[in-house]
Amino acid sequence: MSGFDWLIGLAALVLAPLVGGFLRGVDRKLTARMQGRIGPPVWQQFYDFFKLVGKTRAVTTKGALVWIWGYLLLTMLAVFMLFARQDLLIIFFILAFAGACLVFGAFSVRSPYSQIGGHREIMQMLSYEPILLLAAVAIFLQTGTFKVSGIFEHGEPLLLTLPLVFVAVLIALTIKLRKSPFDISASEHAHQELVRGVYTEYSGRHLALIELTHWYELVLILAFVALFWAQPLWIGVLLALAVYFLELIVDNVEARLQWGWMLSISWAAGVGFILVNILMIELLFGNVLRL
Amino acid sequence: MAGEALIAILILLPVATALAGLAVKNEQLRRPLIILPCAVLIAASLLLTFQVAAHGPLTLTPAASWDTIILVLELVLLAYFVYVGVVRKHVLVLGLGALQLVLFTLLKFVWLPSGFKVQPALYIDLLAVVMCLVISVVGALIVIYGLNYMQNHERHLKLSATRQHIFFFFLVGFLGAMNGVVFANSLLWLFFFWELTTLCCYHLIRHDLTEEAEQSALRALWMNLFGGVALLTGMALTYQASGTLSLLDITGLGAVGSVLLLPLALFCLAGFTKAAQVPFQRWLLGAMVAPTPVSALLHSSTMVKAGVYLVLRLAPAYEGTYLTAVLAVFGAFVFMVTSLLAISQRISKRVLAYSTISSLGLVICLAGINTGLAIAAAVALIIFHAVTKGLLFLVVGIVEQDIHSRDIEDMEGLTTRLPLVSGLAILGMIVILFVPFGVLFTKWAGLQAAATPFSDLYPLVVVFLAVGSAAGVVFWVRWIGRLISVVSPAEGTSAESRPEPRLSGSYLVVFSLLAGAVVLSALAAPLVSGLINPTVVAMGYSPALDTTGWHLATPYGFFSPWALFVVIALALVLPALLVKIRPEEVRPVYLCGENQPAAGPTFRSIADQPVPAQTGGIYWTEAFGEKSLNAWVNGAGIVLLAALIAGVIV
Repeated sequence: MSGFDWLIGLAALVLAPLVGGFLRGVDRKLTARMQGRIGPPVWQQFYDFFKLVGKTRAVTTKGALVWIWGYLLLTMLAVFMLFARQDLLIIFFILAFAGACLVFGAFSVRSPYSQIGGHREIMQMLSYEPILLLAAVAIFLQTGTFKVSGIFEHGEPLLLTLPLVFVAVLIALTIKLRKSPFDISASEHAHQELVRGVYTEYSGRHLALIELTHWYELVLILAFVALFWAQPLWIGVLLALAVYFLELIVDNVEARLQWGWMLSISWAAGVGFILVNILMIELLFGNVLRL
Repeated sequence: MAGEALIAILILLPVATALAGLAVKNEQLRRPLIILPCAVLIAASLLLTFQVAAHGPLTLTPAASWDTIILVLELVLLAYFVYVGVVRKHVLVLGLGALQLVLFTLLKFVWLPSGFKVQPALYIDLLAVVMCLVISVVGALIVIYGLNYMQNHERHLKLSATRQHIFFFFLVGFLGAMNGVVFANSLLWLFFFWELTTLCCYHLIRHDLTEEAEQSALRALWMNLFGGVALLTGMALTYQASGTLSLLDITGLGAVGSVLLLPLALFCLAGFTKAAQVPFQRWLLGAMVAPTPVSALLHSSTMVKAGVYLVLRLAPAYEGTYLTAVLAVFGAFVFMVTSLLAISQRISKRVLAYSTISSLGLVICLAGINTGLAIAAAVALIIFHAVTKGLLFLVVGIVEQDIHSRDIEDMEGLTTRLPLVSGLAILGMIVILFVPFGVLFTKWAGLQAAATPFSDLYPLVVVFLAVGSAAGVVFWVRWIGRLISVVSPAEGTSAESRPEPRLSGSYLVVFSLLAGAVVLSALAAPLVSGLINPTVVAMGYSPALDTTGWHLATPYGFFSPWALFVVIALALVLPALLVKIRPEEVRPVYLCGENQPAAGPTFRSIADQPVPAQTGGIYWTEAFGEKSLNAWVNGAGIVLLAALIAGVIV
């Protein structure tokens, strides 16, 4: 890992919350406009964050707090490693550990709502994990390495040869972002059957920690999307922003699915698309690296 | 010490100890009688490792009288299986046992020329040494754990006369038989030890002599006899095709002619029965009726490991053939489906059993991928799986003897009831599941190996591996979740608090396995450079892992176990130490009505009646249950095996 990679990685750790928080603010604004409301100012997320931090603490068990710190710190580790252009498989494995920490937090108190949310969250992991791992494999078939740095050294944009993998990744990312129709582990609004699912037992500064982690997650996910057009990177950034806008529209027009549907869609369409894409590059382009 | 003496100790000492133990019925006397040889066994396996690592492989051909002794014992053993079939009125055991006896007699006295002898009879290279370490160190620790466990076990069963001497006879003898399997170069010797493991396994499963135990033991017996028949048939065909019964010759022939493919496929089939691969998984699932040390031993260091050892040992022989491609698909398929089946299981030992079958499937898949990286991952997985699975079974054994249940639902909130034991269990599961630990390192290397197009079927293999490893997350995370699910202190305590079981030697064994797993994980790089890479080279592959700076680098990826270990440990341990909560900050959980802390975790519901809040695990049995999946799983398994055999014949 070069000094440059360290620098970029550390810079990402500092800047990601600002970008992520701002994008969430844009999300709320646009969502409001789509629903015919004016909506909060784009900086509202940051106001909310500081308001939450200032609240009196109310906790259920110590375990719930410890795991949520793990969720934040491991997600930060994954962000650092992605921007430091490390091994994609390891990044996804760390992300899985981080996701599991959120589930452990939900499981660490006997609360019916957070427990159901936790179980649903592991179903979400079961849905998106294979897609992420297979996407890494498909990228490897093009670049010859699992390292993110290899994507930058690879001349062509990945999107051109991996269009179906890209679509599959979009499915996985909607699940990972917990947006409709895949917001099954934590509904967006608390007045439903799930209350707030995995987040039910968190409040105040701990909810703020979760929010902060979501900002990191959002940046991580969009950065991964941008890798599909890494040269020149500004097209990749535009691509990621376009994807984010698409997610907002889908979020607003879709209702929540059941977990069985989610699993079927992500496995049949997601995994299926990646398989077809791998066959495509094998048969049509014939440019899989033979090692 | 001379290599020959070490080999003799590693095979004969367990047998001698087993025989001596048969005469001792006093528990106080049995302890030193068993612990001392176990310590010697561990020391001998370490010495053997240094010897072979420094001076290369050892060979040994015992005096001709040993061949006679083994032949006599072999015939007695095969006849005994037939006898079991007759006495238990079990057609399959009887039929397969008789078939084995006939085949063996034909092979030994008709097909082989008289005085046929394989030189050397025993050949100990680094792969054998790795297996021997797993068997001798993990196996010996489990035997020591068994001492306390069996005392409690018999006290609980209120037996009139102790049967522990019989139990330890087979448990300790098992280690000698396993060392024999991995040391043997002559297939005749290998077959003898192979059948001995079948015998030990049968008797250990039926130890409690309940109806269920008898049935499970007979099932294990007939399935393994089926494997024995496959092994014998393979041997006969090998001799016919190549005139040799030496593993060195078979694996050293380079790309084998197609005449040898069928016997190799049969050897792999024998390996699948031992390793309880689909569709033979039922014997291992049934084996959990036995006392926990047996499960721990069968799953981690013996029996099933013999199966994957044989497949891995033969990998150089079938490299580049049709067989290797099908093996990769078959192994990956088993890895995936058994992980999915494990999601629906709420009996702890069944979850562990499915996860074992799944890991062994991964080893077989890696052997099938058959590149330097894949073989390295397979060897590493054998080591890490033995340590972690042994650990988890032993923890479950302690839990079971305390709460008298194997049901994961009965373990809800175990962290408040048995903090130490459940802490060990949670750490063990984290070690088996997450980065930066050893098992995950093998998945990382395995996925890379699978993605380098080794055959036209590689897309299928990577899909199976990706889905299977995601399924693993589900059942481990849920299990940990059940253990840590506790009542908020603001709602009073519902669980009865009880004293932790007395600290005993059992804990020491569990601690040392956990410490071993963690240390080996953090020091994965030196382990690779010191033991795994040389093993891979000795098997004729080029080493694929670079360990400069104690990082692990492949040509396609990079992973630094110790650096991640430090960062991740800080990310989890620091919050655990630094987060403090004051009693006045603790609140009850949100329930669908006003909390009533005075009555425990209860809320006010319809008509102001108090309703206790309850939670439970979700097992998704309709989607992933045995009822829904078994027919498909077994059907697909049989089809794949048929493809394996038919493909090499055609």
